[in-house]
Parts: sequence; structure tokens; C-alpha cells
Amino acid sequence: MVSVINTVDTSHEDMIHDAQMDYYGTRLATCSSDRTVKIFDVRNGGQILVADLRGHEGPVWQVAWAHPMFGNILASCSYDRKVIIWKEENGAWDKMYEYTGHESSVNSVCWGPYDFGLILACGSSDGAISLLTFTGDQQWDVKKISNAHTIGCNAVSWAPAVVPGSLIDQPSGQKPNYVKRFVSGGCDNLVKLWKEEDGQWKEDQKLEAHSDWVRDVGWAPSIGLPTSTIASCSQDGRVFIWTCDDPAGNTWTAKLLHKFNDVVWHVSWSITGNILAVSGGDNKVTLWKESMDGQWACISDVSKGQGAVSTITDTQQNEQ
Amino acid sequence: MAARWSSENVVVEFRDAQATAMSVDCLGSHAVLSGRRFLYMVNLEAPSEPPRKIGRQSKWDVGTVQWNPHKSESHVFAASSNQRVDLYSWREGCGEVHTSLQGHTRVISDLDWSWFEPEFLVTSSVDTYIYIWDTRDTRKPTVALSAVAGASQVKWNRKNQYLLASSHDGDVRIWDKRKPNTAAEYVAAHLSKIHGLDWHPDNEFIFATSSQDNSVRFWDFRQPRKYLNILSCQVPVWKARYTPFSNGLVTVMVPQLRRENSLLLWSTLDLNSPVHAFVGHDDVVLEFRWRPQKEGSKDYQLVTWSRDQTLRIWRVDPQLQKLCVSDVVEDLMERMSLTVESEKSLSSQEPESQHSVGPASDNLQDQDGSLISGGRQDSAVCSGLPQTLQQEFSLVNLQIRNVNVEMDAVNRSCVVSAHFGSHQVHLVVKFPAQYPNNAAPTFQFVSPTTIPSAMKTKIQKILTDTSLQKVKRNQNCLEPCVRQLVSCLESDMTQEDGPASGPFVLSNPVTPALQAFPRVTNTYGSYQDANIPFPRTSGARFCGTGCLVYFTRPITMHRSAPPTEPTPRSLSALSAYHSGVLTPMKMRSESQNTLRLYSGSPTRSDKDTVSISSFYYKERKSRRFKTKREGTDYGNRPIKLAGKVIIQEISCLLPVHKALGESYILNVNDIQETCQKNAAAALAVGRRDVAKVWALASAATNQDLSPDSDPDTETPWARHPFGRHLLETLLDHYSQMSDVQTLAMLCSVFRAQAPPPDSYSLYGHHPSRSSMFPPHHSRYPSYTSSSVTSGSCSSTSDSITTTTWNAGRDSEHANPWGESSPDDYRYGNQGYSDPREREREQHDMNKRLLDPANTLQFDDFKKCYGEILYRWGLREKKADVLKFASCPPEPHKGIEFGVYCCHCRSQARGTQCAVCKRLTFQCAICHVAVRGSSNFCLSCGHGGHTSHMMDWFRRQDECPAGCGCHCLLQSTF
Repeated sequence: MVSVINTVDTSHEDMIHDAQMDYYGTRLATCSSDRTVKIFDVRNGGQILVADLRGHEGPVWQVAWAHPMFGNILASCSYDRKVIIWKEENGAWDKMYEYTGHESSVNSVCWGPYDFGLILACGSSDGAISLLTFTGDQQWDVKKISNAHTIGCNAVSWAPAVVPGSLIDQPSGQKPNYVKRFVSGGCDNLVKLWKEEDGQWKEDQKLEAHSDWVRDVGWAPSIGLPTSTIASCSQDGRVFIWTCDDPAGNTWTAKLLHKFNDVVWHVSWSITGNILAVSGGDNKVTLWKESMDGQWACISDVSKGQGAVSTITDTQQNEQ
Repeated sequence: MAARWSSENVVVEFRDAQATAMSVDCLGSHAVLSGRRFLYMVNLEAPSEPPRKIGRQSKWDVGTVQWNPHKSESHVFAASSNQRVDLYSWREGCGEVHTSLQGHTRVISDLDWSWFEPEFLVTSSVDTYIYIWDTRDTRKPTVALSAVAGASQVKWNRKNQYLLASSHDGDVRIWDKRKPNTAAEYVAAHLSKIHGLDWHPDNEFIFATSSQDNSVRFWDFRQPRKYLNILSCQVPVWKARYTPFSNGLVTVMVPQLRRENSLLLWSTLDLNSPVHAFVGHDDVVLEFRWRPQKEGSKDYQLVTWSRDQTLRIWRVDPQLQKLCVSDVVEDLMERMSLTVESEKSLSSQEPESQHSVGPASDNLQDQDGSLISGGRQDSAVCSGLPQTLQQEFSLVNLQIRNVNVEMDAVNRSCVVSAHFGSHQVHLVVKFPAQYPNNAAPTFQFVSPTTIPSAMKTKIQKILTDTSLQKVKRNQNCLEPCVRQLVSCLESDMTQEDGPASGPFVLSNPVTPALQAFPRVTNTYGSYQDANIPFPRTSGARFCGTGCLVYFTRPITMHRSAPPTEPTPRSLSALSAYHSGVLTPMKMRSESQNTLRLYSGSPTRSDKDTVSISSFYYKERKSRRFKTKREGTDYGNRPIKLAGKVIIQEISCLLPVHKALGESYILNVNDIQETCQKNAAAALAVGRRDVAKVWALASAATNQDLSPDSDPDTETPWARHPFGRHLLETLLDHYSQMSDVQTLAMLCSVFRAQAPPPDSYSLYGHHPSRSSMFPPHHSRYPSYTSSSVTSGSCSSTSDSITTTTWNAGRDSEHANPWGESSPDDYRYGNQGYSDPREREREQHDMNKRLLDPANTLQFDDFKKCYGEILYRWGLREKKADVLKFASCPPEPHKGIEFGVYCCHCRSQARGTQCAVCKRLTFQCAICHVAVRGSSNFCLSCGHGGHTSHMMDWFRRQDECPAGCGCHCLLQSTF
């Protein structure tokens, strides 16, 4: 049953802005306004501080774990306009790379699917999105999409490598040539889809539905079905679920999940892509699940930082 | 923790002093505390040293004590005691009364040294007279002003040497000492008694009064009927005095309760809420004085004496001073300029400080001189910083990329040159002699400025506005102007050139981190943050496979805004909350307690300045605390700002189960058993539906239903409605449930049950696809298989190491050394033309329960499930599943042979070297460059034309190059 398996007291000196576990769920990384990133070993309900990463000069907004096949790598982004990539070598965490190519706060970082190698997307308040690709030998290749979102980019999220449609007509015997795609949200109230073509990043789609800043976007993990799904949330309190059945990825339809009373800050998909966790300015976490008939219903409620996720009995119907 | 909220620097307790008055000398080196038996001299440089004492014999307390504000007379202070004023001189650690002024017939209420004449002192008394004394002639006052009513306060005007003001109950009288008979002006200021009176440091007409009627009022005595502004408090105000920096006001309340905080700093521009509370004193603050600034110091120090018998020194740093300047009206401009380093705000305030402490003179240079000579009429009090253009130039902080400023203080001008992309701007700024005292500089573009004239006009206007706004307050404007110019150019250029023109926009961020740092901290919550989203303080993330990680604000943290008001969207909103603009507070009811947190000025460390993000929430928290635990000093309590991170197990909500992942088996040799065991496993975790599915699968894979290899015997079971169709329905159902586990397992089982003809270890081929491959293939033969099998790949030998295949060759030409790719055979096999073969192929497709057309999707199920298994740490299970994928997860890359050009040794691809443009390798036999078919020994790297090699090795087994390599043996073909 749903149960709290660990409660980690981070001892951060200021408010926490993100918390994320690694691929296996053995380690927890947190970041805070106190400018630090902390890593805890949370195996077996423990909470051992493994590392206290100091290097940012402003509040740290987000962290992201890379796939373990590249080693233990964590990226963090901060108000100080920097993106720092940390790596564990022989048990010690150290800076692997520091990217300072943004002119304003970097609000979001996201590692691409491992099939693409070590690639990181960073969205910044300067409106640009940077793509950092590890090319070996401590070298990072930087590609920058300037003015991706006017005013600022707030969130980035990669599409899973298994994008239906892209696999068709792959020459056999070769590594499938996946198209790199990601989604971003910004202060222009837009959700944008980006695609790499011939090594260049191009805007693929522009999704309009929100009436205020888009705060987060999440591309649902694929389980091999031909549908792509994206969740987006905004300052306007709305959460939209975007779906696309078209193999070419051109027609996206939006469905309103719910309209909240306060800003929605974050959306996160479960590994099977059928449950969405929504959190926002109301200090609550809600879980939403799509029923067999395609309706989204709230299945739980976490409130006030005290309770556990409890499945609520009367599944409240969403407004649709 | 207390230090975090207050800017207190020094606390010294003088338990026995029982002092009633205090004063600080004009050098800022000493404070005098006047007790009944002793006067204590506190060395402000080392306040904890035991104070020197000057004994006195009097049964009266000292009413007022004041140092002479002129440097030439800095050793002199006056102390009133009942009807008498004693003039003390303090030299070399000893003090004594050198003279006394006697004339008043009743107790003296106040005294004040003239700002202009070091020898002149004014005293007021309840005997209704105000006497002006020349201390050189102490027998009688030089001027006597008769006020009819007794006076409580008397103060010299700071700008006009003849004017002084006195307070009489609720009235204020303005006197011209040249006309002693009657007051020059009457101001009916308050209905209750006036406790405090203070002239504006820069304006000769303006003064502030504080009164028993719970208010501070600001007056221009030319308009005595109506006050300029009022500061309403809910308690009587004991003293209200202007600060030496601009727009500040310090008040002392008459507290109704002990321990109540009564010392507040206000901005005269915004009287809704104080900008800072000096928290620390436990009792009434009896006196407060500004310690004259040290040369080069950015901080001001406030010295306070309280009935709790402690002397405290408070640091008022530029950040705090800035808060007094912040003006709601000028929001944008101000914030722009505030983003710059603190030096800037300091420099802009220096002229004010100058004026406020010492009398001003219009000629700045002159003032400079007077400082050194000292003793003349002005600026004796001020140890401070004379403000000249030169100084502004030296203090100005213009570390802006692409901008160069050449400053010429002698000619009062400077040239700003900026390069942005293709544009250049050269701007000459000329400063008039009166600058910055309400005299704005002029701006002129000079060649080679390349920006369009429309933009020139626009920029000119912006610069003029900016500078006017600054000089109106007698503040410097060079730096704000340059920054305006830069931001203006940047924004325009960005619009103009679009995203492509990156380099110039990259101003500060690329500078070394250390340099960017101070800027970052100072800009937090400022104008520049308008497009930075408001930080998330709660969030939830699915992590690993079955965990939900979430964090929320601690319960103790509450929003200061009402819950109905949505959370602000941008970080800049914080600054509004921080500066109190959006949370007007009423004194006493709220602010007394909230202030402490709220006014936690960024004084202490850089760390505190950035943690403003949480101020928004903390505010309420303190009040909450108050209701719970009244009277405790929560300044000392560590405040929990970070909540806990909670990890929750939510796998029961997911359609996949780790238990099933562990117990599921995939036994290719006994599908029946596999299905049955899996059914049992599903039942064990309570997935009845899945158990049924496994039962169905068991039935469908029964031997009886297994298809005949002859297409003509019967319709395969797959074509039956309960065959492929049923399976598809099931897959559809589990797709909707996102149950990738069931999907992948079903796909694997049914694939295992009917393996594709060309053995699942090879790549499965869709018929439609394979048809396009043969021609495609022959042009790109695979290197991989040959190199892997050869095994002798140490291709480090000098000349040429390669296996090169020539374009346009058929695979028949494959030679004894190189092995042809297995693909060849496969495609060869598939490229049939026999109709029976095709029929068989068709039958093959038909008899499979899984639609071969969807193979790729089924593979994706397996791949995704494999990924989940991997996360669960079930690596073998993952391999089990992926075994059934038609696309192996990671095709073996094998080893590729590179070619080094035999001429220039650079790495080459193909037969021609890209560097030297010659053919890359030679035949070992004919020494002619090889273009066509060639073969090489994988061991020694020698080789050549295929035909030559074949001839050679028919007869020999050693290398034709004479290297001694037994090529035939080495390359085991």
C-alpha cells in the first residue's frame, strides 16, 4: 500500500526547490536557496549525507540525475546563471563541468535519454535553451537556441527515445536513428516542441492553451505505445495534457486536467506514464490518473507537508 | 541568530553609570555619558575598555550634554545641570570644567551648539528665556529671546546661521537671532507637548517635530498652517531626527511596555512602515547620536544609550541606507540603479551626508579646503567624504563589458564608448560646475557613433531623465546613466539583430564568477528578476520505479498574502514584499514583532541577502509564534526554512509489480509451463486479470494449436477469432492500463512460441522492408563481421592497416581473407523469386499469433519493460525479456579499421587522403597505388591489389613486403 518509506531531514538552511532520486532510487539529491546541493544515501530508509555540493552563488533551482551508464552524474542549475555538472569519482563528488553561457537565472535542467549519450538541456530566464553534449575528454559541445521563449524559458523535458514513428523505416542492423526531441515551456505562455534536424535544433511545434507563464512541462515516458503525451502546467493554475497519435508528431490535442486555484509549479509522470503528480503554490501534491475511458481523475491528495498520499475514496471528477 | 535580524555591532554595559544623557564628539572617537556622580568618557574605537571618568559634584542630574560640533573645538562639550551649563574640555584623557554659563533661573531644558560659529551655544529653559551664549564671554548671554512660555527644545538651523527653532508645549517658534524681540514665525504644530525637534539637514525651511500626540510631523515654516507630512504612530514619539544619509529618519518611541522595541529607522519617502528596527535594547532608549563617519567608510554608525545601561553601536550599511532611498514612484529607475554594487548607492549618498552633518556650502572645492584647515564656519563636524567629481569618478563602478569610460575630472567631462555588435556609441558627458546639486550633465553623441538617429534621440531622452532624477536629489548620476545606456543598447540591438547576434548580449555572465557574484547577490529580488519565475517551494516527483519524492513548505511557513491571492509569478515580487510596499503595517498592532524579521536588512553576510526568497513566508510565521509563546526571544530560535523531503512508496498505484518481475519466468523450451507458473505468480500478487490472461496464453500456445508447416493443410490458429484477434484485444486493454509488464511478457511468450523463420537471434525483417535491401546492401558491406572474426586486429604497424572494400564491387569478389557478411547470405536467401517461397513466407506470417506488422511496437514494450526491470535491479530478467526483441538492444559495433595515408601519415577514409590528396596506400608487390579491390594482412598491415595478393600467397606464406610476417597463418582464413 501507499506508505511513507523515508522522511529526509535535509538540514538545508533555506527553502528547498527540488528533490530528485537517482535512477535506482537509492540516492536523493536536493537543492535549496542556501546555494547548496545535497546528496543523501536513502537506501533502506536511511538518510546519510553523502555530499554537500557547494559551488553555486545563488539559490539552486533544480537538479537532474544522469543515467547511471555514464557514472554518477548530477546537474544543477541556479539563479547565479550557472549550470554545474557534478560527478562522483572514487566516492568524491566534484565539479565535472561548469556552464556559464546563460545571461540570467537558469531555471531548468534535464538529461536526455541515454540513447543520445550524455546530453543536457538547460532553460534560462534569458529566453535561451542550451544543449550541452559530452563529447569525451572533458569536452562539452554547446548548442544554444537563442530566444526560444521570449522573456524566459522555465522548463525543459526530453521526449523518450522510443518515439513511435521514428522507428519505422530504420535501416536494419544499424542503431535506430532516433530523433532527438524535447519540450519547453516559457513566459510567453507557450509550450514548444523542439527537434534536431541535421545537427540543428528547430522549433517543431508551438502549443497554445495557457493564459499565463508555463511553469513546467513533462514529457511522459513511453511504454512503447504510438501515442506521445506531454503535461504542462502554468501560473494560470491550469494543467493540460497534450497528446499526439500522429506518427509525424504534428497534431497535438490538449485536454484540461484541472484548474487549480493557485499557480501549478510542477508536473511529474510515473514511470509507466499513467499517473501524474501535480504540485504548486497551494503547498499540495495531487496525483492524477487516466481512467480507461480517457478521463483524468484525482486519486490522491498530499497536503500541508504532513500527510501521506492517501487515496481518496470518492474520485473527484475533473472538470472537462 | 539575533545578529541576523539586527545590525547591532557593539554592546557595552555600564552598570553603574546611571547616565541620563549622552553625546558623541565630532571626531567620532568619544562618547560622553553623563551620570550624576561621574561623566564617563567612552572610547568608541574600543568601547569595551573601562571608560575614563570625570567627577562632578551636584545633586542634579545632567539634563543635556552636547559636544561642540566643530573640529577646532572638538574637545569641548556642554552639559546642563539644573540652571547652569558647564563647559568641559577633554584633552589627553583628562577632562575638567573650564567654565560655566549661568543666567537661567530655572532648569535648562535643552542646549545646542551653533553649526556655524564654534563659540555659540543656545540654551532653553522653562524660565521662558532662550539664551544665546558666546563662550568667550561667559558672564551673560549675548542674545536673550523671550518666549513667554517655557521651551522644551531649541535647535539651530543647519543651513542658516541666524535661524533657530524652539518648541513650547505644542508650538514651534522660529527665531532670527538678529531680531530677538519676537519670533519670526509661529507654528501650531501639535496639540500635545513636543518632545523632539530637528531641522532638515539640507533644507533651511523644513523641520520635524515629535510629540506626545503619537505623531511626527514635517513642516515648512513658510507654510505654518499645514504640515508637509505626518508619521502616525500609536505611541508618543520621544525623538525624531533626520539621518546623515538622505531620506532617513530615526525615531524613538515612548514605549508603553518595557522591552518594547522603540528605535526605528524610516524612509521619509514612505512613512507607511519603518525600514528597519534596531532591536536589542531592553529599555527606553534615552539618547541616540550618529557617529561621524570614518573616511572611506560606507557604513554609518548609530550610537545609542538606553535605560538598560547599555551603550550600543549599530551599523547602518549602504544596503540599509538604500532602503531609505527606495521610492515607490521611481520604481523602475531606482531599481535599475540599485542593481549595481553598493558602492554606487554610497557615492550617491555622500553629498547628502556631507550636508546633513556639516553645513553645506555651494562650492564643493571650497568645502574640500575647509576640511583641512578646519575651524572655519563649515563642515567641521564632518570627518566625511567631500564630494567632488573627481571622487565620483574614482568611486564609480563601471565594470561593464564592451563599455569604456574615459574620465577627465579637470575638464569636468567624460567619454563613454560602447561597442555592441556592429554598432559603436561614443558619448561625451559634460558636468556643470554645480553638479550634482540639481545640475544635470549634458550628453552628446560624437562620431564614430553608428546607431540610427532615432535611437540617439531615444537614448538622449532616457539619459536626461535619469540624470535629472538623480541630481534633483543631489546625487551622482554617471553610473546610473551608463547602465541605462547599456541596457538600452542591449535591448535595442537584440530586437534589431535577433537571436543570431549573441556575443554582445553576453555581458556579465561570461566574466569570471567571482566578479559576477556581488552583482548577483545584490540584484536578488530586484527589477532584473521580473522574468525569473517565482521559486518553487513545493514539488513532487516520481523517481526510481515506485517512489514519489515530495517536499513542501514547512507547516510553520505561511504566506503573508491572503490565501485567495495567487502566488506571484516572478521573483521580482519578492522585492515588493521585502521593501514593505505591499504590506503596509500599522505601528504597534503588528510591526513591533514582525519588524524584526521583516527588517532583517541584508546587513550581515552575503548569505543573508540572498535568502530573501523566504521572507515572503517568514513574516507570518513570526506572528504565529507570537500568539503561541509571548515574550520569548525568538530571534534566537533557529527558524526552520527547509521542510522535510518525504519519499513515498507508491508502487501499488502502478500497473507494474516488482514481485511479478522477479517471479515471472520465460522458458522458451516449455511455454506451457511458463504460462502456468506466471499465472500462479500473478495470482499471488492479486492480479486476477493477469492470471486469467496467462491461462489464455497457456491455451493458445498449446501444442494442439501449433500451426502446420504446410500452408495448405489448414488455417492456422492465428487466423481464428480467438487467435490473433483475441491477443490483440488483450494487448489493447493492457496498453490502456499502461501495463507494460503484461504487454512485454505476452509479446515475449508468443514470440518464443512462434520464432520467426530466420532465427530470432538475427534481425527480424519485415518483408516489405527487406525487399529494398539487397541493392542497398551491396554498396555498404559490413565491416563488422569480418573484423570481429579475424581477431587479429592490432593494426598499429607502420604502413597501411586496413581492410578496404571498394565501392561498386560485388560480393562475389570477396576474397579468401575477408569473410563476407552474414547479411549477404541472409539477403541472398530472402531475395528469392520462387512463388512457393513467397507463399511459405506468407504462411509464416499468418501462423504467428503476434501480428508481424507490429513487431517494432512489441519490441518497444520489451525495451521499456527491460528498462524497468533494470531499475529494479533484475538484470537477468531484463536479458531474458530482451532476448525476444527482434532488434537487439545494442548492435555490436565491432572494430573498424582505419587507414593511415602512406605519404603524410594522416588518418584517411577511402583511397584518397583528404590531407595530401594522394592515394593512400600502395600495393606491396607492384608499388602502385591501389584504387580497386585490395587486401591486407590484419597482422602486419601489408597488402595490395587482390589479384597480386592471391598470386603471391598461392606460392608463399610470408609477407611480400619482407617484414617476416606469416600473413596466411596470422590471418586465420
